[in-house]
Amino acid sequence: MASTGLSSSNSSSSSYDLSFKILLIGDSGVGKSSLLVTFISNSVEDLSPTIGVDFKIKLLTVGGKKLKLTIWDTAGQERFRTLTSSYYRGAQGIVLVYDVTRRETFTDLSDIWAKEVELYSTNQDCVKMLVGNKVDKESERVVSKEEGMTLAEELGSLFLECSARTRENVEQCFEELALKIMEVPSLLEEGSAVGKRNILKQKQVHHTSGGGCCS
Amino acid sequence: MWEVMRSRNSSFKEEDLKKETSPSSASSAVDSRFNQTLRSVHGLLKGRSFPGKILITRRTDPQDDLILRSPDSNRSLSDNDTGSSERVDESSQDGLQNRSNASTTTSFSKMKLSTSNSENASREVQKPTVGARATDSARLMKFTKELSGTTVILDNLRELAWSGVPPYLRPSVWRLLLGYAPPNSDRREGVLRRKRLEYLDCVAQYYDVQDTERTDEEINMLRQIAVDCPRTVPDVSFFQQPEVQKSLERILYIWAIRHPASGYVQGINDLATPFLVVFLSEHLEGSVENWSMADLSPDQISNVEADCYWCLSKLLDGMQDHYTFAQPGIQRLVFKLKELVRRIDEPVSTHMENQGLEFLQFAFRWVNCLLIREIPFHLVTRLWDTYLAEGDALPEFLVYIFASFLLTWSNKLQKLEFQDMVMFLQHLPTNNWSHLELEMVLSQAYMWHTMFKRSPSHLVS
Repeated sequence: MASTGLSSSNSSSSSYDLSFKILLIGDSGVGKSSLLVTFISNSVEDLSPTIGVDFKIKLLTVGGKKLKLTIWDTAGQERFRTLTSSYYRGAQGIVLVYDVTRRETFTDLSDIWAKEVELYSTNQDCVKMLVGNKVDKESERVVSKEEGMTLAEELGSLFLECSARTRENVEQCFEELALKIMEVPSLLEEGSAVGKRNILKQKQVHHTSGGGCCS
Repeated sequence: MWEVMRSRNSSFKEEDLKKETSPSSASSAVDSRFNQTLRSVHGLLKGRSFPGKILITRRTDPQDDLILRSPDSNRSLSDNDTGSSERVDESSQDGLQNRSNASTTTSFSKMKLSTSNSENASREVQKPTVGARATDSARLMKFTKELSGTTVILDNLRELAWSGVPPYLRPSVWRLLLGYAPPNSDRREGVLRRKRLEYLDCVAQYYDVQDTERTDEEINMLRQIAVDCPRTVPDVSFFQQPEVQKSLERILYIWAIRHPASGYVQGINDLATPFLVVFLSEHLEGSVENWSMADLSPDQISNVEADCYWCLSKLLDGMQDHYTFAQPGIQRLVFKLKELVRRIDEPVSTHMENQGLEFLQFAFRWVNCLLIREIPFHLVTRLWDTYLAEGDALPEFLVYIFASFLLTWSNKLQKLEFQDMVMFLQHLPTNNWSHLELEMVLSQAYMWHTMFKRSPSHLVS
């Protein structure tokens, strides 16, 4: 601890060993933002639908390493997909979330979201984590754990069921993802690269036409 | 707020105005003075002060602005106006002094003099009340007079409403401003009755049907709306009432069905809420938090819903491409915002660019929800007074409001690095804002708009 004399006064950029970019995707209303808020702040609150993209940072220690996770929480509605698609770039981890009480959110993962990942993720080795949320509503469950595991196998992803409301498995979800990322040499290298700041500073590719006097 | 400035303007002597822009020199002088103003404003922005600065621009083109924008400029510095302007004056004086250096021209000195004069005048009638200007008696009388004629003159009403509408007149004024209620009072009741019946028909035809009669697309849309209604304005308990959420659901679904080019897009649920509270305020008393839908008759509820539906439709008619595929309208406004900020505040603009911050990362939501998410809910209706007063010009003016809003934190932003900046911009500290802060944003926006519209090449789209 004492050796980290360089630690900045800036909270979010205080010292860490590795930095990873994580993306949250999935249908609207499955609880992406709730998962994130629960993970970040230990609080459970009712949230408005995400518009566009939200951004949060979490510092945590996993496997003896201090990690900084920068997490992009995307809007689930289809209309926002042109915007959100540009955020896949450079992500080392992608969390695909569905709601165990709404089957269509589960089928959309393979029908839509997995394809989005293939299309937009620039990182071949990027680690995926399938998350079935809202297991606190056990009586309303329509997607079984086995189905989840099967899909995870198909997608080649990790799998967990959790509840943002009870906090069950929420931390595990991000920790396991981080651990897995650290096992992949190319991702590990990206996370510790000198240019780690640039991971975040993605230039938006999707500038609209329209132009301007100076463009 | 901007009544304050207009009143000040009206305190200029005719001769002064003539001296400033005498016909012979006006055309050549205006351009150079405009550029000078621009440079000076750059400096001023740091201090973020208000009415004094506004004078700078308004003075450059007195013929135009004074006549165009102030049919009622002959006095209405009410007690409340004075109270709030007083507070602002102090800061603007600081701003003026900071800036009275090499770039200060004679016209600025004169302006400063004029400002002080009118300040002295206003001090005489100073009262401590701040922020209640929309309810002061002089303004009330003007509103009442404007609304009582056989035909409401909409331009006059816009003029008045821009600075805030008294809450109890808001429902009538908004209906008129949006072109939902006709200006002609003889026709008004009939038109509203017909429109409300039409809405009821729509509900019967589209909403009160079995899912088997809906297309897959419609089922999906209704499902999405049903997911969003319970999480609309989650921090205001009134919106947690199931009846409120049902009303919202019907309004949004009917709107979505009748606007297939966009359909329902998240954020439109937010846009319906100001209408809901304003039209409900005709039937429910006290604070929104204590309202209960149970106190309303089914007729009242359906009339309120109908008014919300039609007003939401009218509002969105002017920005349809904000919600169509890829949301080009929003992308365009965000692009314009970036350009405008670059013109107004180079240091912030450069800093943001160096940090790799994209305007879309924060301003997308601003445009998509028209700032509803960024300010306390109790201020939203006041903001919308100005929106609706702008009418068709709203999309253009929004860019200025957003710029003004963003640059409220100009100094702060320049100290933040990328990550802190994104997080700061996504949760701006407006929790404790009152009307005063909001009206400052609007005044500043007005000022910049006045300035830049004279130089449109800066903002080609």
